[in-house]
Amino acid sequence: MPLYFSEREIVLPGQLLSDDSKRSGEGTYVLGSKVYASTVGFATVKNDRVCVIPFKGSYNPQPGDKVIGIVIDVKPNGFEVSLGRHLTATIRMPDKKEVQALNLKVGEVVYAFVKESGLRGVFLETGEKIKKITSGLLVSLHPSKIPRLIGRRGSMINMIKKETGCDMLVGRNGFIVIKGPSPTNEFAAVSAIKLIEKEAHSQGLTERVENLIRSILVGGAGNE
Amino acid sequence: MSISQIKKSLTARIVQEKIYNLLTQGKRLDGRSPTDIRPINIITGLVEKADGSALVSMGGTKILVGIKTEVGSPYSDRPREGSFTVNAELLPLASISFEPGPPDERGVELARVVDRSIRESKCIDLEKLCLIEGEKAYILFIDIYVLDYDGNYYDPSTISVLAALATARIPRHEVVNGKVLKTGEYFNLQLQSLPFTVTFGIIKEKFLVDPQIEEELALDVSLIIGVDEKDNIVSIQKNSPGLIPESLLEQMIETASEKSKFIRQKFCEALNIRK
Amino acid sequence: MSSEKLKLVSEEGIRIDGRRLEELRPLKIEIGVLDKSDGSAYVELGKTKIFAAVFGPREVHPKHLALPDRAILNCRYHMTSFSVDERKPLGMTRREIELSKVIREALESVVFLEEFPRTSIDVYVEVIQADGGTRTAGLTAASLALAEAGIPMADLVAAVAVGKVEGHLVLDLCDIEDKYGEADMPIAMAPRLNSIVLLQLNGRLTKEEFRKALELAKKGIMEIYQKQRDALRKKYSEASLMEV
Repeated sequence: MPLYFSEREIVLPGQLLSDDSKRSGEGTYVLGSKVYASTVGFATVKNDRVCVIPFKGSYNPQPGDKVIGIVIDVKPNGFEVSLGRHLTATIRMPDKKEVQALNLKVGEVVYAFVKESGLRGVFLETGEKIKKITSGLLVSLHPSKIPRLIGRRGSMINMIKKETGCDMLVGRNGFIVIKGPSPTNEFAAVSAIKLIEKEAHSQGLTERVENLIRSILVGGAGNE
Repeated sequence: MSISQIKKSLTARIVQEKIYNLLTQGKRLDGRSPTDIRPINIITGLVEKADGSALVSMGGTKILVGIKTEVGSPYSDRPREGSFTVNAELLPLASISFEPGPPDERGVELARVVDRSIRESKCIDLEKLCLIEGEKAYILFIDIYVLDYDGNYYDPSTISVLAALATARIPRHEVVNGKVLKTGEYFNLQLQSLPFTVTFGIIKEKFLVDPQIEEELALDVSLIIGVDEKDNIVSIQKNSPGLIPESLLEQMIETASEKSKFIRQKFCEALNIRK
Repeated sequence: MSSEKLKLVSEEGIRIDGRRLEELRPLKIEIGVLDKSDGSAYVELGKTKIFAAVFGPREVHPKHLALPDRAILNCRYHMTSFSVDERKPLGMTRREIELSKVIREALESVVFLEEFPRTSIDVYVEVIQADGGTRTAGLTAASLALAEAGIPMADLVAAVAVGKVEGHLVLDLCDIEDKYGEADMPIAMAPRLNSIVLLQLNGRLTKEEFRKALELAKKGIMEIYQKQRDALRKKYSEASLMEV
């Protein structure tokens, strides 16, 4: 298929990508017989379709996604959980006893799995799969940067965990819980996340994150 | 990176607990000490159409102030003085928690607290703003706009107002045949005082200075204290529900005095003022 | 500056601020200037200075206003009190209300609202200094803010005002030209789609003048469009080739 871009070129909304209107993927739209970009991002071919990977995309929950949320409402038949931004998910529990047993209060944080996501809303798995998070540092990152935080085959997140000595639970929706051996270690992890948020699209990021963590841990005071 | 919640009740409890735990160790989420203020940046004169303007950031919070002058009648009980009025708007583009519409109570409170700091410290020489005794006087309209809200809009608002006033060029007017006309000249306002506010956040028995947005959502109560260069307290405002332990007041007053000096020093450096 | 009759265009075709008839004012663009919004931009066109910010897609409040099949686009065009010569009192004027509407409708023409049912996308245009062309510069900024926020659109929107001053057709009127000229016509386009998304006329033009003015506007719009694209590319130019 004739392409009007080079692989991983930065494209802008309205930019012409290809003449093959049958093979348009995410981040693109079809007008007439041509495919155009609809967001700012990297143009690429994925699964034989022309796509634009947006630099900042909205999070679309998929079944099986691990998410972290804050309970915002308690109802007789379940709970409502905020996944950040415009997303609210429901934990549906028709059995009142189950609701009482889970005993979630407004303001509590849960780690859960997405069960279904569609026109009727987002629903989380119930039962064993819900974990209450009772302590730790809760931070949020724009969901489109979570893949960068995790890295290729987990390379980035594993490096951060190792260097900072922190446990980190990452929700695909952008919430992260950090638990470390000291405030300075936790601060190092938070700083790493902040750097990734700012520079997600730049080269050599892994090394810069590593250096940042090391300089914070050596400094010890957790300042700047 | 932040916890973007609209209502305080949506803050995760573990965040509140974490902030308090850190405070007991003298630490904060962003690595500051409890009495550290975020970096301050001052840009003046950005809006040429205003008679004075300043854009101040304190960390991620950004405040734009502009001053416009009009000529009107002085108050009948103060015929030899001009006047000023302070207004504030929490712009919806600054935060998900600001809605468009008429100024809400928070905006009105901000304007009135800043007004009191300026007024009580006699910062502006109102007699210099007199044009014709009993008949005409200059009226300064000081308008505060919160552009970006990352916690604590009080302290950077005060700094921005003072920076706009300090660098203002007021168009001189004269009355000719009953008409008020601009002469084409300008005069500066010689500020008599530089009162800066310091905002405190309190959780249980601990306090911190210049709360960032995540901290603000976790506080039990907050308090603003304004101090001038002579170490007078020129304004105080408890601006949230909650209990302030009386035992903390003394320490907070001392800290306010110290921090106000610190901000004054940064301010004078930035504006090349010797005070 | 108190001449009896102010000459806005000289015999050599030089305007009061030194520009040629078809010359744009200097355009400065900064993207991502505000932290709390999802996307933001700052634009200076001559002395006109504007912030634009976007929040969304996000939950609609109150919930009953949500649409089942698409997002709602809200827009607020607002000027600070000190942005104009005579202080503007606080609160929305009728002009701000009208401009909020036409800017919203321009953006709605290109944003793919159906991708976010039951949500709202909120656009704020804040004019901190007004020297003519605020609604068009505001649209130019809002379009960039939407792009930074990752809101899918058919195209960027570029906008400019053309007008007639002392019989001459001019591009990008400044405030004094707008006040004392014979016509002011703001236009916004989605250039790739060759479509007009905002069009208004304040004043009087012959049909021939209208055609010529439209051609002049398109030239200005293409210049602005190119600057928008350059600014967006520059912002992301350090992009890595990592597997995302």
